[in-house]
This record gives sequence, structure tokens and C-alpha cells, in this order.
Amino acid sequence: MNDGKEELDELREAVREFLTAKSPESAVRAAMESGPRHDPAVWDQMARQLRLPGLALPSDYGGDGFGLTELEVVLEEMGAALLCSPFFATVVLAAQALLASADEAACARYLPGIAAGQTIATLAAAEGNASWDPAMVAARAERVKGDGEVGGGWVLSGKKSFVIDGTIADLVLVAARSIAGPSLFAVDRGAPGLHAEPMTTLDPTRAMAVLTFDQVPAVLIGAEGQGGRLMSRVLDLASVALAAEQAGGARRCLEMSAGYARTRFQFGRPIGSFQAVKHKCADMLVRVELAEATAREAARLADEAAAEFPVAAATAHICCSQAYMFAAAENIQVHGGIGFTWEHPAHLYFRRAKSSELLFGGPAVYHERLLDRLGI
Amino acid sequence: MPEDLQEFARQAREFLGAHAARVAAERAGFRWGEGDDRVAYFGADPPEVEERKLRAARDWQRTRYENGFGWVSGPPEYGGRGLTPVHDLVYDSIESEYDVPDTGTLSVIGLGMIGPTILAHGQQPVKDRYLPAMYRGDVIACQLFSEPEAGSDLASLQTRAVASEAGWILDGQKVWTSVAQHSQIGMALCRTDPDAPKHKGITAFLVDMSAPGVDVRPLRQMSGGCDFNEVFLSGVRVPDDHRLGEVNGGWRVALTTLMNERAAVGSEGSGPVAEALSPERLSALMRATWTWDDRALRRDLSELLADMMATGHLNARAFRRMQAGVAPGPEMSVAKLMYAQNLTRSAHFVSRVLGPRIIADTGEWGTYAWAELLLATPALRILGGTEEIMKNILAERVLGLPKEPGIDTVSPFRALPRSGAGGAP
Repeated sequence: MNDGKEELDELREAVREFLTAKSPESAVRAAMESGPRHDPAVWDQMARQLRLPGLALPSDYGGDGFGLTELEVVLEEMGAALLCSPFFATVVLAAQALLASADEAACARYLPGIAAGQTIATLAAAEGNASWDPAMVAARAERVKGDGEVGGGWVLSGKKSFVIDGTIADLVLVAARSIAGPSLFAVDRGAPGLHAEPMTTLDPTRAMAVLTFDQVPAVLIGAEGQGGRLMSRVLDLASVALAAEQAGGARRCLEMSAGYARTRFQFGRPIGSFQAVKHKCADMLVRVELAEATAREAARLADEAAAEFPVAAATAHICCSQAYMFAAAENIQVHGGIGFTWEHPAHLYFRRAKSSELLFGGPAVYHERLLDRLGI
Repeated sequence: MPEDLQEFARQAREFLGAHAARVAAERAGFRWGEGDDRVAYFGADPPEVEERKLRAARDWQRTRYENGFGWVSGPPEYGGRGLTPVHDLVYDSIESEYDVPDTGTLSVIGLGMIGPTILAHGQQPVKDRYLPAMYRGDVIACQLFSEPEAGSDLASLQTRAVASEAGWILDGQKVWTSVAQHSQIGMALCRTDPDAPKHKGITAFLVDMSAPGVDVRPLRQMSGGCDFNEVFLSGVRVPDDHRLGEVNGGWRVALTTLMNERAAVGSEGSGPVAEALSPERLSALMRATWTWDDRALRRDLSELLADMMATGHLNARAFRRMQAGVAPGPEMSVAKLMYAQNLTRSAHFVSRVLGPRIIADTGEWGTYAWAELLLATPALRILGGTEEIMKNILAERVLGLPKEPGIDTVSPFRALPRSGAGGAP
């Protein structure tokens, strides 16, 4: 771990430098108001120059074989910069779902394109109620009889919501129910019967879509009926990846607040010299330190395939969700009126914090998830 | 782990294996209603038990010392092993796998805080006389810092030390002194120049606790026990070679002591209280009280466990960093704040689970016993630096926020307004 430490610092430095150049606030605002909600040129450079999409994918599938610990560093920086990118949907949700399926043929077919940055992909798990509970999957998968164009394959029908980057994904992995139960399927963009409609989102830096499926041809990924176990595994990993983004965003809010409190004068002194402001910043620091510790520790445990990983993942999801929301809200308070303007970036963090907190169901489900992972 | 550390760890295991039993890898399977149900943060043992524990602690410290583990990072000329603080950490973590007497009475303040201070600031005769004796378990030391009028603002202390031909004469009152009743020496901060600004007129001394004029009186705290003392100093003589650091240079000396305090307090993650608050035990409590499926309590439990585990992760990461030789960041201060909050919230959570069973003793196992922890928790947000002071420190030292402007660091100490003196002069 001694040697690893420096490598992580170098990786962090490289990603931070890249994002400072490619995703300053002006670029974030331009991307969030654009059609695809990201800058395809940046996505391309991220893959070619830094090889980020393949960083944590196995080398058998064109990746560089690093783990969640390294991916965590990248995601913290992306969260801090509010990067608008299909990275999370592609590299975390879709790629982890493929890996969790243990379907080698599917991995060999799709992962090299993801690793190279040629394929944008996403996972359509939740439906109208935003639940990731496999029991709530209503989309249907039916086997097609005969040997026509889709003979022997599957067709999907139903509706998925909150699909991140759903309008631009080349590949959509879909949780749908067959007779055997929830299962995972792959659908190509442009498949007949697939329709993607962008959703109006609280957080403009993360695009979401409603996908409707009308007898859409699909390929089964992994074994039929294993979707429940798979969703649970992907949710644990995605929670930790999201936690990294959240910790990074929370750290940036703290830095903004502390910087402002040092330099903003009222009553003839820096506002940071007032204990009411000082303690607010200290409270943010406490929450940010805890958030980072939980996110990084969970990533480490994932890489070690430790039995404690699911508990650590649920812990990180709770702590980072709370820390980011707290830091983003207090950041506006420390800034006062200026923090409430459209021109100030504080609201972009507030929006991202709230959207991240509730992305996988929020407090309504994440507390019971932790107790469940603890066996309580 | 580097090779020399591995060899050191092997020696430590060999020593411990010869002198102590290993703690069972699994906590002896917890069963509701069996065993000791006390959840005590403070000692509160009857005197004869306390006496026995103290004897065991001293004996164990002597055994450590005689085998080269009494002061791992101390210099050899004073009985230390001459290794690094990382070796200390390694030894502590290995020792925690063994069932050995708790040496907290000697180690938390004396060996952990005062020993390093004497080493850094003591004069030769004092170092020769006390350091080996302390780490051998013969001499216990206490910290005579806080006063009734000097709590968070320690530098406003009023105990006077006046130079005379026979040394120094000390007069004043100290408070919240742990282990004073067992101590042979105490480190006292005294005002030696009331005309200088408050930080610049303080001198540190080592006081013989058996000297005439030293009066130790137990202080009964709100939880009922007496874990602290008041110490009255009336015309106590202290030779000049027992002065630590320069005359009027005592604040620097105190900072050495306090730095070691913060490192010691944040690291509490084990012991009977931590065990009683484990997920397993808390869920057993909810089952036993039929509150198992109460949605509000389950949510509270999750929030609490998430923060407790997060604090554990923070500690674990700080520990690994220190083991790798990286200077700790703010983790220890954060962990200290969180430890106090987690314990406080835990006690209130448990009382919501227990309901009336914590306001009157029904005799049922594992219920009213929690009152002891509940009544101890207010101390945790105060001792070792109040929550408010800890937050100031984090904001100022880590985030670089400016100090509150004031006159108290530049005016002569004598001119500062005091409590009860009618406010501003």
C-alpha cells in the first residue's frame, strides 16, 4: 500500500489537471445546456489520452486491470469538477453489470468497446417508482418462437425511467422479467421498438431518460433469472462509485466555503473569524473526512473481495449522501445571497447532491439496505 | 511491513505469548441475559477492586519494561528501546490481541503525555530520576492543568508560582485531575508573570504529590462516581531543577503535553462500551424489547451504525497511514469529535429503545444498566477539549480560517476581565 499511495497521487494529479483544462465551470454550463449533455470531444480525449474508461476493466477485455480503488480517485475528481459525462453510466453501471453477469461472451463482445471509449452504455434498472428492488421489475421479456430475424432470441416490452444517459447510449442493459424472474438483457441503440425520451432533471449535469420498449429484440446476458442477485451486486458497486463522486463534490463545496470565509469581509473582519461560520465549516470538514474514509475504505474492501464489502458499500452510500447534501446546502449558506444566484456554481452542487442522494432510492431504502447487509 | 518491523512484531508476539493468553478470535458468543451487563464509560469500581486493578497494571507495566516493551520509542539512556513511534503502534496493536491488564491509569496521562513532556523539556536530574521509574511502573503522574477559572481558555490559569531562595512556592487550585489520588508526581502549569500577556507568563513544574501543602480531594461527577479530583496547592515548595522548560516558557511545554493528549483520546474503538454498542448487541437489545420492527428506531439505528462504522474506517485509515510513516491529517481530531457524538447518540438511542426501563430499575438484565453510560456521555463532548474548541482548531489549523480577534493575547494577564468581576474593566 506504500507504493500504491504515490501512484494514486499521480493518477489524481493527472485527472485533476485534465478536468481543470477540459471541465471548468464554463464547460460544465455549456455541456449541461447542450443536446447530449456532454462534450463528445472530452469523452474521446479521456479515452485516448488518459485511458480512463478502461482503467478498472480487466485486461482480458481491453482494460488496464486496475481496481475500484483507482476508479475511486477518478470519480472523486469528476464529482468535484461536476464533469458532465457518460462515464458513470458506461464504466460503472453498464460495465459492472456485464462483469457481474459472468457472461464471458457478452463481456468479450461489449467491454473492449467500452474500454476504448467507443461504446457509450447504460443500465436501465429502475422503473416509474425509481426502485432498484428486483421484485419491482415489471418490464417483460419473452422468448421469440420460430426462426425469423429474431427467432430464438428475446423481445422486451415495458418502460424504464431514470435511465442515465439513456438517449445517447449505444448499448442499453435492461433488467426485465421472464418466466424465471428478473434477468439482464442487452439492447442496441436503434433497435426497432425502442424509444428514448429525455427527462427534465433537477440536476442538469446528469442526463436521464425514459425508455419505452415495444417488442424490442434483445440478447439475454448471463443466466435467466439471476437478475436479482446481479442488481444487488451492481447496486453495491455503483453505490461506492457514486460515493466517490459525492465525496469529491462535498470536498469541493468545503473548499469553496473555506475560501470564501477567509476572504469575505463583513463587520470589518473575515466572516470565517466568526465562530458561527467557523463551526459550520468545521462541521463540513468532519462530514467530508468521514465521507472520504467510507468511500475509499469500501473501494479497498471491494478490491480485496472482502466479506465486509456489502456493509461498507451501504455505509459509504449513506455517509456520502448525507455529507454531500449537508456540504452543498451549507455552502450556499456560507456564501449568503451570492450563493443563491444562477451565476454562482453553488446551486449546481446542490442539485447534484440532491439528485445523487436519491438516485438509488434515498433514505427511504438505504437505511434498510444497510441493516439488511448487516443481517439485522 | 519492513523487515525490522516484522522482526520486532515477532519478538512482541514471543514476549506476549510467554506472559499472556490470547483473546479469543470471536467474542465469546454473546447471549442476551448472560454475563456482566454493565456499560460503564467511567471506572466506578469499589475501592478494593480499584486497588487490585492498579496493582495488576503496575505489575504488567514492570513486566513490559523488563522485557523491552515498556517504552518502545523511548531513548535507551532512560530505559527506552530506542525505536520509532511506528513500533509503538505495532506493539499496541499486537498487544490488543492478548488478554493483559488495562494500564490506563499509568499510561494515558503519565506515560502518554507527561513522559514525552519531561523528555522534551525536563532538566537532567528530573529526567534521570523520573523517566525510568515512570516507565517501570513505579511512578504515576497526573496533569495539573485545568482550574475553576481556566477551562477551555487554559492560558488564563491563575495558580501562582513565586521564586524564593529555596526554589518556587506554589499556591492555587487545580480541577478535573484524573488519577491524582494514585500519583507520585504532577505536572503543574503556574502563573509566574501576571504582567505579561497570558501565554507569556506561564511556567511548568513537576510537583511531588506527597509534598506538604498538596491536598487531593475527590470530585464527584454527575454520573455519581469520583473519577477526577480537585488538587489544592498551598505554599508547596518545588526545587528549581523540577522546572520544565524556561521560566515563562510554560505554554510551549503545555503544547507538547496537549498534542499527545489529542492523539490518545481519539483512538478509543474497543473495550466493553464499544462491544455493547456493536450492531449485534444493539439488534439483540431491540429483539429483547420487542422494538425489532419499529420503523423509526430502525432508521435511527442505521444512522447511528453508519456513523460509527464511518468513524471506524477513518481511524483504520489514519492508523494505516501512520504505520506507513505518513503524518496523520485531521483524522484524529475528527475521530475524537465523532466518538463523543456517536456515544452520546448511542446512549439516547438505547434509552428510546428501553423506554421507562431506563428511568427505574425493573431488575431485568441489560436494561437499567445503560443508565451508567447515559449519565457519562455529557462528559465526552467536554473532556480533552470541548467540542467547540475542537471545531475552532479544525477550522483554524486545517481550513486556515482566521482566529477571532481579541485583546486577550496581547494585554497583560492582570488587565484581562474575569468571570464574576463585573465584565469589562
